[in-house]
Amino acid sequence: MYGASYIYQQIFNGIVLGSIYALLALGMALVYGILGLINFAHGALITIGAFCFYFLLFKFNLPFVLAIILTISLGGFVGFLSEAIGYRKLRGGPGLSLLITSLGIYIFIENAIKLLISPQPYAFFNPPFLNRIINSFITFRVIDIFIIITTIVIMICFGLFVKRSKIGIAMRGIAESVETAGLVGINVNQVITWSFVVASAIAALTGFMWGAKYGQISYNMGFMPGVIAFVAVVIGGIGSIPGAVLGGFLIGLIQIFTVGFLPLGWSVYRDAIVFTLLIIVLLIKPMGILGRRESM
Amino acid sequence: MIKVNYSNKPNTFSGIWIPFGVGLGFLFVVLGIFNLVLDNYILHIITVIGIYIIAATSLNLTNGYTGLFSLGHTGFMLIGAYTSVLLTYKVSLRAAYNLPSLPTLLGGANYQWPFLPALLTGGVIAAIVAMIVGYPVLRLRGHYLAVASLGFMIIVTTMAKGMKSFTRGASGIQVIPHYSNLWNVYIWVAITIFVLWRILQSAPGRAMLAIRESEVSAQSQGINLMKYKLYAFVSGAFFAGIAGGLYAHFTRSIRPYEFSFSMTFFIVIMPIIGGSRNLFGPALGASLLIAMRYLLKPAEEALGVYGLVELIYAALLVSVMLWRPGGILGKESRAK
Amino acid sequence: MLLKIEKIEICYGIIPAVRNLSLEVEEGQIVALVGANGAGKSTTLKALAGVLHPRVGKIFYKDKDITQLSAYRRVPLGIALVPEGRQLFSTLSVKENLRLGAYHSNDKEFKERLKEIYSIFPIIKERENQIAGTLSGGEQQMLSFGRAIISKPKLLLLDEPSLGLAPLIIKEVYKTINTIKMTGITIVLVEQNVKMAMHIANYMYVLEAGELTIQGEPLKLMKDENIKKAYLG
Repeated sequence: MYGASYIYQQIFNGIVLGSIYALLALGMALVYGILGLINFAHGALITIGAFCFYFLLFKFNLPFVLAIILTISLGGFVGFLSEAIGYRKLRGGPGLSLLITSLGIYIFIENAIKLLISPQPYAFFNPPFLNRIINSFITFRVIDIFIIITTIVIMICFGLFVKRSKIGIAMRGIAESVETAGLVGINVNQVITWSFVVASAIAALTGFMWGAKYGQISYNMGFMPGVIAFVAVVIGGIGSIPGAVLGGFLIGLIQIFTVGFLPLGWSVYRDAIVFTLLIIVLLIKPMGILGRRESM
Repeated sequence: MIKVNYSNKPNTFSGIWIPFGVGLGFLFVVLGIFNLVLDNYILHIITVIGIYIIAATSLNLTNGYTGLFSLGHTGFMLIGAYTSVLLTYKVSLRAAYNLPSLPTLLGGANYQWPFLPALLTGGVIAAIVAMIVGYPVLRLRGHYLAVASLGFMIIVTTMAKGMKSFTRGASGIQVIPHYSNLWNVYIWVAITIFVLWRILQSAPGRAMLAIRESEVSAQSQGINLMKYKLYAFVSGAFFAGIAGGLYAHFTRSIRPYEFSFSMTFFIVIMPIIGGSRNLFGPALGASLLIAMRYLLKPAEEALGVYGLVELIYAALLVSVMLWRPGGILGKESRAK
Repeated sequence: MLLKIEKIEICYGIIPAVRNLSLEVEEGQIVALVGANGAGKSTTLKALAGVLHPRVGKIFYKDKDITQLSAYRRVPLGIALVPEGRQLFSTLSVKENLRLGAYHSNDKEFKERLKEIYSIFPIIKERENQIAGTLSGGEQQMLSFGRAIISKPKLLLLDEPSLGLAPLIIKEVYKTINTIKMTGITIVLVEQNVKMAMHIANYMYVLEAGELTIQGEPLKLMKDENIKKAYLG
């Protein structure tokens, strides 16, 4: 029915989309592991990153690398602010107040962008080198390879950071017990701030990726990828960062396959299928694919 | 701005029907006066407020009283809206608007339903869907439930987009009969608040409050968690369906995406801002937010600052969470 | 005087757990707080560690008022806690637990201190990469000591170090406490096991229902008939 090259093409596209989800899920899993918070505001960082890069590169004509660095920095800074203003005071209170606040922060950022920039979508032009098309067994652009390689690099760095660095170990310690962390002398506030900064910086970078890959950015572009990233965390297994990454790739592939292999009318359901999968996973394997037991 | 029947505070009177009757009578006297003195635009706003009061108050049964944070309420509103509209839609317009005729079982091709049975059917279908969806989903707790119910809402809205032969897809349904008005909306407001009040006074209501405080201790007291969670979820969904039906027959045009995340956010924050532990908190929140929207929309359009209203809502929500976690009508937050 | 508590009152909600308590700890000593369950010993220790804060009264460490300082700020000053029930990070490895104990030092300092800790507790070195939750009770207690000592404390707070351990291992633990004392660290010990505490302490405070009842050197207290009856059976 489908040729081999078509199937490989779809798998490749799935991996590219999955890379973006996986990066988002990485940060989501980090914050969820520490605070038990589904950070809806995580999605807003995608939008911020996309617009920030757009303006730096096309309006201010900054060099590509500098624009990327500044985008990541801005993302980290917004993560820092949202934690300091919104979440710090509510920590340790009823669990849902953090979630509701993150909804509020998401809507705030989304509408601030709508108000300050535009309610209309922007076309996102890539620097020409990213648009070069490579035709071999499958067809792709340089941006696709850029996304995959960047994702791999970030994952390795992130893994080393969490596994080896003092702050990374402290993050895992706090995820296990905030109380113990405080009494052995860890500056809990500082470490939590770092986790927001790292997660948000990565999310801002995915904003650039999303724009570069799909060619259009808008004030509400971040919501769905943000929520899907959390679905990836749950499907992969709460508390497991490799699980979150796996979940991200899985969802990327499933979405692409929905569009690529099912009849035309089904492409409407690409998001709905993700949530159906979520509900099924929660019901038959609530701990997710790689998760450990959740204490809630 | 509006006086909903504040007079029947729980426990003030021992009777049930007397306070309800008095409240309803008072409400309609007030509405009657409004009807005489206020212009149509203001009455329009008051009617919209009524519809949102039904939605927010019924949502609060799960989100406020039972501690189940659902983001799926607009999914049930959509179901109620589309169901009732498909039943009441004018026979003469069905072909022109590509909507299916009713099957023989429901009255046949030459029949269109009157409003009340159609509205009730919308509520009942929403409740049945809640029963089916709730059984698996309500086993989840806290954040999982929030995301799963959000997923339900997204599934429902995409289905409404996808099932073009019933719903006309993304273009939505227009020229819906104009059945909702100030009076029938506020009768439903009164019914919603009254039923909620009765539920909260009864044993199931106490079970819901116990579940909110602690599922573990509720269970140890012999409370069947799933039964009462479903009770709250299904009752809430019924009134969401009613609110959806009233909404559709008031605005006279519906589209699937209307019922998606921005409306969800809107309804979810009403009880929180008004006070989710007070019977009238959601109503206050709904009145306040809708009034604010109608006050600010002209400014938003004139200045071209789209998103201003939502921006203010979000800021208001975060402020309430930080400084007055019980909402406007809430008592001082308890240390936990 | 290394540590001085002046008339503190500590409450849980509105219920006072400790009232009008004053005590002093001299450098190089082992001071034991003993008493029955719920007497307020652990509460006092938590106030010293900064987990709880007294509502009334003051705590001085090296003549500096630390009453309201939070726990993580006290560790760099030289106050470390070995919490009740060990409270290790059970999903982290032994080495990672130690790394978090030395949170305030950089990687190079940590490596040096790690060697010192391994020389005091050779058993921990063998288990370096094992997950802490899989250690035996005695090993966990040693790791908990190690995690506290690696921050180079001047004052070590021990909360019920013998709790839930077999008698043979308790002896081992107390040997270790003596070793730690020899390195010049001052110790405040909370213990229900009064006999063990008496053998090791230089000075003892007895708490009852949140208040200080008796204090003195263990040898003198041992002669007191009331104490014998109440605590030594």
